[in-house]
Amino acid sequence: MKYEVFARINQGDDTKHIGNVTAESDRLAQIYAHNTFNEEDWDLLAVARTEHLLEVTGGRPDLEVVAHE
Amino acid sequence: MSEDWSEAAVDYVQAIYDTKLLLGHRYAQWSLSGPSLEDDIGGASAAQEEIGHVRQLARELEEQGRDADWLSGHRDPDEFANAACLDRIDGEWPTYLASIAPADRAAWYLIDAIGRDDLSGLITKMGEDEYFHLEYHDARLETLAAEDPETVQQTLETTLPQTLALIGPAAYDEDEDPLYQAGFTDRPIAEIRESFVQHYRDLFAGTDVSLENVDWDAPALEEWDETRRRVDTGSISDTDVEQLRGEANELFAMN
Repeated sequence: MKYEVFARINQGDDTKHIGNVTAESDRLAQIYAHNTFNEEDWDLLAVARTEHLLEVTGGRPDLEVVAHE
Repeated sequence: MSEDWSEAAVDYVQAIYDTKLLLGHRYAQWSLSGPSLEDDIGGASAAQEEIGHVRQLARELEEQGRDADWLSGHRDPDEFANAACLDRIDGEWPTYLASIAPADRAAWYLIDAIGRDDLSGLITKMGEDEYFHLEYHDARLETLAAEDPETVQQTLETTLPQTLALIGPAAYDEDEDPLYQAGFTDRPIAEIRESFVQHYRDLFAGTDVSLENVDWDAPALEEWDETRRRVDTGSISDTDVEQLRGEANELFAMN
């Protein structure tokens, strides 16, 4: 499963999306995120399953290549 | 200069030191062999932390008279007192995980049981690192118990008794454990064993891995080598010792 990783350095800062990890369980995803993104002394480091994100705007860009153009 | 420890206490910390030295070595050896990039990063991170712990413990052992060169690997393979399950790891990723996980957990339980105030800061810092090692191992073992229960079970049937030998004999209860009696530790070996055994029973309950055939009574007191904290005469290889000494990288040594 793919997980999105979110973090903030100080309490009160905005929580930002900093990357993603792939893991076979929620628990492994937490550990993977800890090891992979340990460059800061985070106030908060959190993961959320990508499939649980509810899309409001955006969406997948159109990647279609049209051969005859 | 810290207060002198008993010879038994020095041997106890030496076994933790050697187990961590080998853990760092095995993590590093396997950190490009994991099933995912995240496993490799985790292994490399754990290797660095174990070597950091080793350096801190080396200072303590040097203060108790152990020679720095001897500690860093200038000794024979059979002078290492590491958990026997780290002597060699013949197998694939599930074998590796089921070998290092019990050793790392046992080494932490032994450190955590040290009851000396002058070491409490050191122990707290190690515990912060170990929390993530042990959580990772358990989470990974749970996934492997579903993917390859046979290999995990077979490996644990060997590595759990070997790790129990590192912890010590069940006969060392409140009345018999010399380090507990001397106040060096605040938990007798029998109690540490109980926590260790219960942890793995709980972890694999409800999985396809059965721990029914594990020899939970090992080691027998009369067969136990108190210095090397094992029952067999095995050891790491000469190649391991050469790598631990860093002979191949001598050219790059700073002094």
